[in-house]
Amino acid sequence: MSGETRFATITRPADATTSPAIGQGSQFVGLYARELLRTFRNPWVLVITIVQPFMWLAFFGNSFAAVPLTELEELLHIQIQSYVQFLLPGVLATSMLTVGMFGSMSTIQDKRFGYMKRILLTPTRRATIYLAKALGSASRGLVQIPVMIAAALVFGVRFNGDPLLWAAWILSLALLGFGFSCMFLAVTASSTDWQTPGVISNFITMPLMFASGALFPSVNFPEWMRVIANWNPVGYTALFGRAVVVQGVAHWNYLGYVAIFAAIMVTIGTFVASRYLKAE
Amino acid sequence: MLADHSADAIWAHDLTKVYGKLTAVDHVEMEVPSGGVFGLLGPNGAGKTTIIKLLTGLTDLSAGEAQVAGYDVRRQPMQVKQRIGWVAAEVILDDDFSAIENLWLQAKLQRLTDWRPRAEQLLRYFDLTAREKDKVSTFSTGMRKKLEIALALLHQPSVIFMDEPTIGLDPGTRRMLWELITGVNKEFGITVLLTSHYIEEADALCNQIAIIDHGKFVATGAPSELKSKVRGDFIELDTTEQVTEAMLRAIPGISEVRTQGKTWVLRTSSAEEVLPRLLTHVDPRDVRRINVERPSLETVFLDLTGRKIDEDSGDVHDYRKFYATVRRARQ
Repeated sequence: MSGETRFATITRPADATTSPAIGQGSQFVGLYARELLRTFRNPWVLVITIVQPFMWLAFFGNSFAAVPLTELEELLHIQIQSYVQFLLPGVLATSMLTVGMFGSMSTIQDKRFGYMKRILLTPTRRATIYLAKALGSASRGLVQIPVMIAAALVFGVRFNGDPLLWAAWILSLALLGFGFSCMFLAVTASSTDWQTPGVISNFITMPLMFASGALFPSVNFPEWMRVIANWNPVGYTALFGRAVVVQGVAHWNYLGYVAIFAAIMVTIGTFVASRYLKAE
Repeated sequence: MLADHSADAIWAHDLTKVYGKLTAVDHVEMEVPSGGVFGLLGPNGAGKTTIIKLLTGLTDLSAGEAQVAGYDVRRQPMQVKQRIGWVAAEVILDDDFSAIENLWLQAKLQRLTDWRPRAEQLLRYFDLTAREKDKVSTFSTGMRKKLEIALALLHQPSVIFMDEPTIGLDPGTRRMLWELITGVNKEFGITVLLTSHYIEEADALCNQIAIIDHGKFVATGAPSELKSKVRGDFIELDTTEQVTEAMLRAIPGISEVRTQGKTWVLRTSSAEEVLPRLLTHVDPRDVRRINVERPSLETVFLDLTGRKIDEDSGDVHDYRKFYATVRRARQ
């Protein structure tokens, strides 16, 4: 008698034998949950993810503490309570730049330790792996938002705007993080080198951070930096958030721009990953 | 349209994989009937792992066609992947997860809904129930290997691919795995394709063996059939430079003389008859080492390829196997 009878039998969805297209929902949920669990079970990752933006506010945010507010408002071209209030949306936007790096590193780790092979030897498409990793990275970045807001409150910032606008701001950050995660993962789809994500992160972070209006208003920039700022989704996310936080208004076209950026990145990235995401 | 080979667990015709100038798998023909243990035996770099990659859809075929569990590898890769299990040379699990979480993730990847009862039964079968909630990074190598086989069995596959399943393991764990592999084949009725460069492993586990060298099948058959094809014994001889090929060829009973590095390989009618003659024809002071190889899969390989199976073992760079060795060393 076969030993199979001693074991419970499993059933499969109907498309398992009949359809050439195998559903990907279950695989996506599993891989996305894996990304989140791996992140939040690592206390060091969690601590650094939370502390780093807090330190931005503490050190950078207070670098103009001795400057009279009127002079600061003249320099920044906006009425504010403090530079920390001005900076908060910018720091959160720039922190989304780097979340993609973690998704790339997680992918490279899976390749080098063979786990990517384990995944690809199941009915899981490369695009599903890619999307789960990208969304996992973006989700990780969102953890910083409540921490930063709490930190800003500690530094005496009082916020404007209604909850709907705040939700839209968080959405803009999520879209930005997702877009950059997609971009990172697409660029490193065929890489197995641990150093690649860090090198790319260093390469893109500084120009996109400073040429964005996230830390200082772009009206003070030279012409060539303004050209970059005009195409920089980090800047639009920062400006959208700043309008919500400081003025209590929303520039919806900025949110639309960030959404278009995310859509373009996910489209290109899915195409690239489907073709070039390697097992090892 | 492909012919129907659904009766075979694995079928391949003209299976070929070319990497640049290297032909890793060279026009291989395969027919593996359901229910057996089929072994790919060959040295490192012979093409065993590449064949597994081709049959599981991990890499594209350069030429040829293949079916696994009745599905076309090229046209129906997802259907193939629903019906295969895989056990890696290096144990591949998510070390941050517990045993049950690894099974959960495998169930998600295989789209199983009612996986839990079967997972619990597999944990019991492999004696892992007491540790099901522990992180697998705390498991011994044997336990990790058992869990990996449980993952491979979770979705009731038709075929399990085992790529060098006992590489780097201590003899005790290797024996335990042999029993498990036999159990998986017999109790679960699953076809097993395993690769190995361990002669005794292939001999002990496989009903059918394909000997592979430089990407080609050089012989296929049951171990007993293959061994019966080799007549006589082989003598390996390390000597000083005073001993020449002509001297050895002149000894009655030696039908063939080959060199393998600094070693002479002599095919003989019978080692018992030839050895006394050898030591009268050759000055014993010129002989540094003598080794007699009785008919075995080792001599089959030697006979077919002119080399010992482990001759090239150190040449293949595989960082995953290296990492696996390092991980085991740390445990």
